[in-house]
Amino acid sequence: MHVYLPIAEMSVNIFVYLGLGAAIGFLSGLFGVGGGFLLTPLLIFLGIPPVVAVGTGTANVVATSVSGAVAQYRRNNVDVKMGVVMLAGGLIGSSIGVESVRLLRKAGLFELVISLSYVTFLGVIGALMMVESLSTYRKASAGIAVSSRKPGQHSWVDGLPFKMRFHRSKLYISAIPPAMIGMFVGFMAAVMGIGGGFVIIPAMIYLLRMSTSVVIGTSLFQIVFVAAFTTILHSVQNKSVDVVLAALLMIGGVVGAQFGTVSGQRLKGEQLRLLLAGLILIVCIRLAFDLVSAPDELFSFGTVSGAK
Amino acid sequence: MLQRSTFCLAAFVMSALAMPAASQSGKETVEADVSSRSVAITSDFTGTEILIFGTVENSRQSSAEAGTYDVVVAVEGTQVPQNVRRKSNFAGLGLWINTREIRFASFPSYYAIASTRPIEEIADRATLDKLEIGFAHVRLVPSGSGTRFAPAGVKEASEFRNAAIRLKQRDRLYVTKDQGVAFIGRSLFRATISLPPNVPVGPLTTRVYLFREGQILSQYKSEVTLERAGLERFLYDSANKRPVLYGISTVLLAAAAGLAAAFTFRRPGH
Repeated sequence: MHVYLPIAEMSVNIFVYLGLGAAIGFLSGLFGVGGGFLLTPLLIFLGIPPVVAVGTGTANVVATSVSGAVAQYRRNNVDVKMGVVMLAGGLIGSSIGVESVRLLRKAGLFELVISLSYVTFLGVIGALMMVESLSTYRKASAGIAVSSRKPGQHSWVDGLPFKMRFHRSKLYISAIPPAMIGMFVGFMAAVMGIGGGFVIIPAMIYLLRMSTSVVIGTSLFQIVFVAAFTTILHSVQNKSVDVVLAALLMIGGVVGAQFGTVSGQRLKGEQLRLLLAGLILIVCIRLAFDLVSAPDELFSFGTVSGAK
Repeated sequence: MLQRSTFCLAAFVMSALAMPAASQSGKETVEADVSSRSVAITSDFTGTEILIFGTVENSRQSSAEAGTYDVVVAVEGTQVPQNVRRKSNFAGLGLWINTREIRFASFPSYYAIASTRPIEEIADRATLDKLEIGFAHVRLVPSGSGTRFAPAGVKEASEFRNAAIRLKQRDRLYVTKDQGVAFIGRSLFRATISLPPNVPVGPLTTRVYLFREGQILSQYKSEVTLERAGLERFLYDSANKRPVLYGISTVLLAAAAGLAAAFTFRRPGH
């Protein structure tokens, strides 16, 4: 069964995209990430124009993260105050990002930047998480007590002004680092079509030293709003949001996300991080391979700036 | 303009003089039409076929198989600007990235040719060039010099042009059907052109050419509209004319889908 996508301007098989949405939704619920870091490259592999993949990816992130955020909120896993501080930065970052997409397309560099950003970010974060979670995992199996929070330890983060008390996270820290993290992730959301969970979660754990339990819920909370804002901006600036494609991915995604959230509760934090790290590295390797392997066809059509 | 019309007139006079037989029974002309003057792209659009049929007036062909006449049907999409990019091994680092980009100011988005036999056999290169029939002859206008999208020289221009045609053929947007036109009787012929699901939206120009012994006898031209209709059109127009509303609606749809799922799947104990 086929449906014609109004913005991507192509006829696609409904079930392929429902299935893709469901798989991404499952991962989203399992790891508390938007799943966009997998969705965007997969959409591009399936032949969706990269800029539409990014724009539509952000719309899909809204659906999967709302679904996940509600589930997390019910379990009191959301630090709303922290989320709002991050969101403030996120909106600024997203605005800069959407404008960057427009300029990069005009310069004909968008696809290169997308590939390089994915390879770089997925590679660095995947590797860091893999190393960290492996060592935690080993220590845990050896019977050594592990705590991700080290209260006695001070870092540059503690020296910054605008300190705020975040009750739910049991933290008293400056508002600058969360806002900066939010801004950076908002930028990435706009350029890469992702929620940014795979950046924001490690950043919250390692930089802000929040506990893993509130990290997933809080990141989902702010991702909902940043992704919503980014979707609207992409619609206006780049006309790259395909509502039919988004609807297909969402229908699959919201169902998958529920099963993912339930499955996630049965796994330990370090196991989750290890799995996520593995997944991130696989996507990274695939993208890197495409970037370095000699292509069969050196030529491709590019977008004419201004026109779609 | 004056030169061209003078030339045409001269050609006409010469051909009339050269063919006394034609003047006796009337000059052969082609009349044709398209099965559907408008094609609607709706949500369930998976490509379609258009039928082009026509007749040779004053046909002197004894039967459908006689092969006295050759007919070429060319269906051309809208002329659009198109960029073509080439990857190269960037700085020898093993990174394959787009390093060169050429813009064609005018490029047919779709091009299908059906003919009674391969077009190279029907007429010589000069004739095909003049009529702009065939991929090798179609108008691809590189953008003017002075921009970074202008080709560096004739060699680069032709390299990118060939690549552009190859890419279009790969996407099945440039197609040829060498035996795509069939005579049904002494004068009646038909051809079907299939429009793939990825056919670019925009008016199509259908041209029918009648040849005999390598000479063009008559031409016919008609337009086929290819437009979005129904929900497809509504969504596309919304996205382009009311982007803020379109964006907000998409977000609300997404949020509703997410919330609906969250509450549907709510279990006791949560």
